[in-house]
Amino acid sequence: MPRPEIKMITFSIDGREVQAPENTMLVDAAKYGDVEIPVFCYEPKLGQPVGACRMCLVEIEGIPKLQTACSTPVKDGMVVHTQTQRVHEAQEAVVEFLLLNHPLDCPVCDKGGECPLQDISFGWGGGRSRFVEPKRHFQKPLELSPLIAIDRERCILCYRCVRYSQEVSEDYQLVLQERGAASYVATFDGHPYVAPFSGNIVELCPVGALTSKPYRFRARPWDIEGAGTVCTMCPGQCNVTLTVRDDRVLRVLARDHEEVDDGWLCDRGRFAYQSFHVDERITSPLVRVDGELRPVPWDHALDVAADALKRAGGAVGALAGGGTTNEEGFLLQRIAREALGSPHLDSQRAPVDRRSLLAIGDPGLQATVPDIEYAHAVLVLDTEPVDEMAILDLRIRKGVRRRRVRLAVASARPSALDGNAALSVRFAPGGGPAFAAELVAAARGEAASDDARAVVDLLRGAGEDVVIVASERVGAALAALADALGLRDRDGAGLIVVPSSANGRGLREVGVLPDAGPGLAPVARPGLHAAEMARAGAEGELTAFWLHGVDPLRDLPYRERWEQALDRATDVIAHAAFLTEGIREHATVVFPVEAYAEKDGTLTHPDGRLQRVRPGIGLQGRNRYGWQVLADLGRRLGLELRVLTAGMALAEVAAAVPFYAGLTQDEIGGRGIRWQEREAASAYPRPEGLPDLAAPTVREGAGLRLGTFRSIWASPEVEHSPALRFLVPRQRVEMAPADADRLGLGDGQRVVVSANGSRVEATVTLRHAVPAGSVFLQDGLVRDAANTLTGSVVEIRPAVTSEVAG
Amino acid sequence: MTPPYDPGDVVEVVRAPEPGGVGGAYRAFGETLRGLKTTFKRFVEKPVTVEYPEEKYPVYPRFRGRHKLHRFEDTGLEKCVGCSLCAAACPADCIRVVAAENDPEHRVSAGERYAAVYEINLSRCIFCGYCEVACPFDAITMGHDYELSDYDRSDLIFTKEMLLAEPLERTPLRREGE
Repeated sequence: MPRPEIKMITFSIDGREVQAPENTMLVDAAKYGDVEIPVFCYEPKLGQPVGACRMCLVEIEGIPKLQTACSTPVKDGMVVHTQTQRVHEAQEAVVEFLLLNHPLDCPVCDKGGECPLQDISFGWGGGRSRFVEPKRHFQKPLELSPLIAIDRERCILCYRCVRYSQEVSEDYQLVLQERGAASYVATFDGHPYVAPFSGNIVELCPVGALTSKPYRFRARPWDIEGAGTVCTMCPGQCNVTLTVRDDRVLRVLARDHEEVDDGWLCDRGRFAYQSFHVDERITSPLVRVDGELRPVPWDHALDVAADALKRAGGAVGALAGGGTTNEEGFLLQRIAREALGSPHLDSQRAPVDRRSLLAIGDPGLQATVPDIEYAHAVLVLDTEPVDEMAILDLRIRKGVRRRRVRLAVASARPSALDGNAALSVRFAPGGGPAFAAELVAAARGEAASDDARAVVDLLRGAGEDVVIVASERVGAALAALADALGLRDRDGAGLIVVPSSANGRGLREVGVLPDAGPGLAPVARPGLHAAEMARAGAEGELTAFWLHGVDPLRDLPYRERWEQALDRATDVIAHAAFLTEGIREHATVVFPVEAYAEKDGTLTHPDGRLQRVRPGIGLQGRNRYGWQVLADLGRRLGLELRVLTAGMALAEVAAAVPFYAGLTQDEIGGRGIRWQEREAASAYPRPEGLPDLAAPTVREGAGLRLGTFRSIWASPEVEHSPALRFLVPRQRVEMAPADADRLGLGDGQRVVVSANGSRVEATVTLRHAVPAGSVFLQDGLVRDAANTLTGSVVEIRPAVTSEVAG
Repeated sequence: MTPPYDPGDVVEVVRAPEPGGVGGAYRAFGETLRGLKTTFKRFVEKPVTVEYPEEKYPVYPRFRGRHKLHRFEDTGLEKCVGCSLCAAACPADCIRVVAAENDPEHRVSAGERYAAVYEINLSRCIFCGYCEVACPFDAITMGHDYELSDYDRSDLIFTKEMLLAEPLERTPLRREGE
């Protein structure tokens, strides 16, 4: 639905005339007149108010009884009183009631000092209780999940967490058991509340009933400092506030940004901060001496790396990924192109050529994140938001639930959003581009499959504003599809292209691409893309690799080829935070990479918003800033770089990328700025036509088609966060029950999945939603990752017990 | 010259004795002896100064000296639960508390929470006693010890163990009626 128009009305509160938007709830409208009405259960982010806590009672003239301000919309001419005797008595009574069963163990409680119940009891309560009877008792503290502790005695039954679980994250796990004073929050059958977004209930709880286990008892509000920054663990780039004590990050809180994250965080973003302070982190440069990585002084490591790069010259393959900032990506490509003369740069998992990127990045085709909520229809194409850009999952659910957005999901693997979708269609694994091409054909009224026509009919039938959330690998067809649906230059409609790494969009716009320089400008001599680099490395054409935030064995396809390439390379220079396998085995020089809490730089959100990552803690160990390391390397390689601060690095980027022209850290500020909304956006290069849309590919072979996906939990940060370790995924093969029956396999059985002689072990997971003939394996795992397999058609057979043991 | 106050109707002027004669003799010896009387009286009295540090001045019961942390007498558990309210109240910002969760097997304090680190930087402390007032469990009180000088500043950061330990009885307490 398009955004509603806002009409201002005038009402009177405590004898003052106040202007407020019509139909906002009185609690919010009162804020326009600087009147605070206390609330517990009211939280606009949770949707419709429920009026459960009765804290917000106010007197409205013309209505005999007191009304709940949280659920009464303000009307023109309304006369509201919040300071009368009646209101005060009612509020005092409510506080007294709420405290009847509350243990008042504030000194022990983790919420003490930042507790709305404390504040409201102090501000609006009577100060004494007449209740002398024993209070209600529960066993405490209990684990609601390995991440959340629940103390039911403190609960005031405001329903916030239950509403969140039912209406926002829609995992439907939390419920209120029993009735009356005996009510308590629990999961239905007492199983742990494990969900990708479970941590948000800790922040929602207005008392100390739900507390974060990793943060439990770590600090009080007066011991800590808040530091605003941006999480760099996925393309969602949620805004966060780090809670810092003694130069350590102790907690991550959402920093509400309606245009980016809507105030929620996923559990990886919320709890993976623990990996910033583990011993396994690399906090000193390492150089391989006698086959072993040893800590060395910075100058030595820089010299060794510069020598190695100089030796390899044009035969260096450079890759960037992970949380690499725009500045780091820009410096990396400048050094590689100008100082080394190597065009071999890439930041993408699957190659998409420059012309396609130019077309799908066009400012006229971009949707913003809030557009998802207000569109008529949303198409999720070949991506799984919860794994690839987690926070979009909640945004799409919100649009469907609250604004009746029509949702179509087209993907190979069954999606978590299928339940909300008006239409879900499946295609063969890897068939995203082909299906997109069919959608284009259907939208143009040409011959297309029934599925594609159904999707286009649904999108057209819903209305003009369509937002397409798609994976970057779909490529050129996205631009054609958006044009065919008439989305160009429409406000509130367009594309959101989910890149393969957290700053994928920024990296391609600053020129970390084989065939495009900064600003997606054409390059004279295109280089090799990632997959070709692996081949070239294995064949000895590339002699050195420069990996910034990427471990090819972990993050990229064709693991076997990469292993050969890294093995054969004379030098592998890595910028990494953890010694993952590829780095540990093959790197000759390792530079430590800062955690995002230490980083200084900018990122570009998939919708074009540039955001600042700002240091919240000092550099750990002997770390240096990434831009500084690259600038030092550049100078050693004979490049003249005027980069002495992060701001200067950004100035270099802004000077080189025409549509970022004139950007400064001040302009980006704390909330970021979309470059499409700046004047410089007109400098975006004109699209140069599209390459031929991919012809539908038909997979050969008699076996099962292999699809891969990377779980939200498959990352080194999760592995190294003690609290999240229980979520580290192990390989499982998702398959249709029909296929399993045919092969004689059962749920939970250990199997060997093989293709072209390569094999991984996995556990069978039966999913009815998986189309017969397709199986799905996970990428990004420590062991048995899907990228070990060299073919896309696999055979599955039961594992022999001895193989399992091995 | 008008006097600064209203002298009334009768003004009596007292004059000093004339020099020489009885009056002069009184002035020369009488007043001197009167002064010496005070001197001799103090001369036979005991001294009021104390021979510090061999001898110490007793303090009042509410004297605010070095802090003490307390345990429950029956269970031996620490009274402090690590709530950090003392740190919040401290105007000199000299208290640092890092709390942790109790292990039910080996309890440190009575509640769920205990102070894993409790440090007072006595070189910063202004001995205002707000920590004692803020403490909801009477876990910290101000003791009587005022002999705190040391050779190293870092030695003045008192840890939880030092604060829990029974302080050396170095300071006499003023008795009733003293």
